[in-house]
Amino acid sequence: MTREGRERLAQALAIVFVAGLSLALREDDFALFLVARVLIVVIACLGLNVQFGYAGVVNFAGATFFGVGGYMAAVLSRGTGVPHLFILVAGGIAAALAGCVLILPVLRTRGHYAALVTIAFALLFRTFLEVNDSLGGPQGLKLPELRIGPWRFNEPIALGRFEASFLLNYVILALFLAALAFALVVRVDRSWIGVQLDAVRLDETSAAAFGIPIARAKITAFTLGNFLAGVAGALSAHMVGFIAPNNYSFGESLILVSILLLGGIGNPWGLPLAAAIVIVLPEQLQVIQEYRYLLYAGLVILILLFRPNGLVPRPLRRLGGA
Amino acid sequence: MITARIARVALATSFVCAAAQAKDTVRIAFVGPLTGGNSAIGLGGRNSADLAVRLRNADAKSKYQYELVVLDDECKPDAGVQVATKAASDRGIAAGVTHYCSVVAMATVDTYHRFGLPTIVWGAVLPDITYKNDYKEIHRVNGTMINQNDTNAKFITERGYKKFAILHDTTDYGKGHDKYFTEFVKKYGGEVVADLGVGADQQDFTAELTQIQAAKPQVLYFGGLTPIGVRIRAQMDKLGLNAQFDGTSGIVSDDFIRGLGPLAEGVLAFREGGPAEKLPGGQFFLEKYKAQNYPNPPEAYGPFAYAAAVLLMDTIEKTGPDRKKIIAELAKVKGRDSIVGTITFDDHGQNTVPAITKYVVQDGKWVLWEESEYASGKRKLAGK
Amino acid sequence: MTLALFAQYVMNGAMLGMMYALVAVGFTLFFGVLDVIQFSHGDVLAAGAFLALGTWVALTKLGVVSPVLLLAAVVVVSALGTALLGAVFARTLVLPLKGAPQLNVLLVTLMMGTVLREAIRLFYPGGSQPQLFPALLPTTAYGVGGFHLRLDNAILLMAGALLIAATHFFITRTRIGLAIRAVAQDEETARTMGIDFRRIVLVTFGIGSALAAVAGVMDGLYYNEIFFGMGLLLGVIGFAAAIIGGLGNLYGAILGGFLFAALQTIGAVALPFASAYKDVFAFAVVIAIMAARPTGLIGERASERV
Repeated sequence: MTREGRERLAQALAIVFVAGLSLALREDDFALFLVARVLIVVIACLGLNVQFGYAGVVNFAGATFFGVGGYMAAVLSRGTGVPHLFILVAGGIAAALAGCVLILPVLRTRGHYAALVTIAFALLFRTFLEVNDSLGGPQGLKLPELRIGPWRFNEPIALGRFEASFLLNYVILALFLAALAFALVVRVDRSWIGVQLDAVRLDETSAAAFGIPIARAKITAFTLGNFLAGVAGALSAHMVGFIAPNNYSFGESLILVSILLLGGIGNPWGLPLAAAIVIVLPEQLQVIQEYRYLLYAGLVILILLFRPNGLVPRPLRRLGGA
Repeated sequence: MITARIARVALATSFVCAAAQAKDTVRIAFVGPLTGGNSAIGLGGRNSADLAVRLRNADAKSKYQYELVVLDDECKPDAGVQVATKAASDRGIAAGVTHYCSVVAMATVDTYHRFGLPTIVWGAVLPDITYKNDYKEIHRVNGTMINQNDTNAKFITERGYKKFAILHDTTDYGKGHDKYFTEFVKKYGGEVVADLGVGADQQDFTAELTQIQAAKPQVLYFGGLTPIGVRIRAQMDKLGLNAQFDGTSGIVSDDFIRGLGPLAEGVLAFREGGPAEKLPGGQFFLEKYKAQNYPNPPEAYGPFAYAAAVLLMDTIEKTGPDRKKIIAELAKVKGRDSIVGTITFDDHGQNTVPAITKYVVQDGKWVLWEESEYASGKRKLAGK
Repeated sequence: MTLALFAQYVMNGAMLGMMYALVAVGFTLFFGVLDVIQFSHGDVLAAGAFLALGTWVALTKLGVVSPVLLLAAVVVVSALGTALLGAVFARTLVLPLKGAPQLNVLLVTLMMGTVLREAIRLFYPGGSQPQLFPALLPTTAYGVGGFHLRLDNAILLMAGALLIAATHFFITRTRIGLAIRAVAQDEETARTMGIDFRRIVLVTFGIGSALAAVAGVMDGLYYNEIFFGMGLLLGVIGFAAAIIGGLGNLYGAILGGFLFAALQTIGAVALPFASAYKDVFAFAVVIAIMAARPTGLIGERASERV
């Protein structure tokens, strides 16, 4: 079997596994909620993976673009009759457009300087949302239920004798989108765009010498990444049913980056595992109440010290042949 | 399926009750911010609810053994909805004492309603939490910021102050207070000469305060919580701004005084509910709290968390751990004595007894206004 | 705006800028020797402030009353303790990650910051609420028109300036300073010249952290209160200041610190929109500066290394 074939098989198995898990948990609302959150976070991190892992563009405002998607969804679903499936896409487009504001400074800077640009943007966005009342201000906005055609997401599922929690709806949609995003990211990596992005990340000067359009490669990666984060944000806003600036702080962006690093930067295969750990672990730590962030931060440090390349490091690209 | 499961639980419960003397365990949830900037109040509330449960479990007459399930909402809506789903979808949890942050309380009402979990809000002050919906599950023991600011504005204008500057944090708490105070102070004939919003984690306020100083107000109204309240009062002194400091429930804490020392003298603040130390059981609460040696004080809203937990357990003693019956029973709560004053729920589950307590800092203590030397005329508020 | 009011704003902004500059100098020193960003720097500052407060509480309990003695003890204990903390971080977290991707160092130090912050909140008595910091300096106030100058503020401002000057002297005029600059320029060559690289890194982290501790004490003396989260925003702003100025450049860090303070003050006072937008304004200008001068105002001299 070719490598591509093996990966396809693994993808299919992963989807079947999550679907089976969700079906087994179909009446456990909380477990489904966590599964959906993990999937949503995976979508956002796939976006960051394109930026950090492939193009080497740092983005410490992941939660901000996630938030732009969420706010776009809130505005559209509250104020207009736009079909909800389109709203998810619109969330992604809004995030991609918001990213355009940063393109010039992101292209011109690198390393820590680029990090500052995105950190500044993350802080600016959060403060703006809090101060500005037109988008709900600090009190946030409530979102109506998600509907796609006759499919009402906040109704429990009842098909004949099959019954399941309403959250299974969100899990199904999130799984579908995550699979789509995953396939897209893997395909980008394998295409000539992926090779170009690798070249740009590893050595801009020689990439330019080989005639690779650096600016275009970076813009593509940055925009695609933000788009994915925005779509994830829109879906998340609908599932939670409420958004407020508190959800989109700089700290949340760091959580997304830590998932990326834990998973193994540049390798989408580690992301679901890392996301599951980062989402579920603090939840399991609820027992220790106020001490849980202390312990959580300590664990992340240990993982990074002992597995500096993440849990599932990126394999070397093999050009030509299987 | 769900009804079948409830039936099974009910059957099991009645069976156990009939057969055994050993007490059943009933679980109730406590949800509040245990990490992050609001954690001081969250921990105070958690300890207070925990105290209520401990005292009840020590009581041989109670029918059930209670267990408090503590969850951290981090003051973030998505984390809040997540833990709300956890608590509400767990049929073993009978009821909840929920939320200090208004934005989280707003985000979670739908979840509690969907799963039918009876909850009593212990600290969030936004009116919409009870009034923007018809959910029978949601109750609140503390008053809203409307009552608080009405009393505050009336009181302060009656003292003869005319020019007000408002400084508020840009969270839901600060913005809400800003809105209602502005409304009421104008109604009572005051003039707002400056109105500025500041970040909830901001440290330097000299720019805003200098601006306020230029407008020469007699009173500085502050809508926000202890941490930045301390900073603002300290920096007023630094700049020589001698306006009367008038605060909200968010600064009624021992830490406000500890953080300021002598500078706290003469600061005014208002809080919903009766004064714990004067009400039946209030002194008892404070003594028992001390005896438990919790590492943090109960803070302004601890007594509400305690009262909410007690009210829930009283109800469960009557109805058993059946969510529907608890909701029906809570709807009937009228004129119930508690350590925060009488509790009467209206048809939105809101406690309608708008007891507002006025406090002033005197010699390093929050003293009831009526009993202070400021009321008797022995000491004077700023600019009087 | 009257002259007195203007002077007041300048005074406020200068004080703020001094603190940002002290934090930014630390960032820039660390970057110089190791090319890393020590992101827990802000929380190290908070640790220094709490160490100072703890020392004060202990000494007052022992019956020490002399403000001069208290102040000296508080500053020395806090600076030394925090220097040690900084060196330990360098030894256990930063040096082992040498060669790992920069992003890892960033995240590890950020997480270390969280650990420090949470530890202060949970383990310092009453740490989840702000703590009163004692006024150890004379608080005599002079009023000229509407301008209000307090002696303690003036002393703090001067002390900050002296400290920065002393750091500059140390880096440019002493043997260790020479070694630090040598390592910053070229680690390999410095090693072959017989400079003990590890020792220099530890010393640099010690010095930078001690500066942060002093900034923390200044912060406490100026605001009369400290709290566990104080390092979070100061850290980000200090980082921003170091970057706007140009990493690795001492003057750049100072310039960046004062510039950021100026932006915040202008944002709060002089612009037509509400003062709450001041951080939106300040960070927007930061982004614009980065677009215009991608390696900071005083850019790194090293050009593209191919």
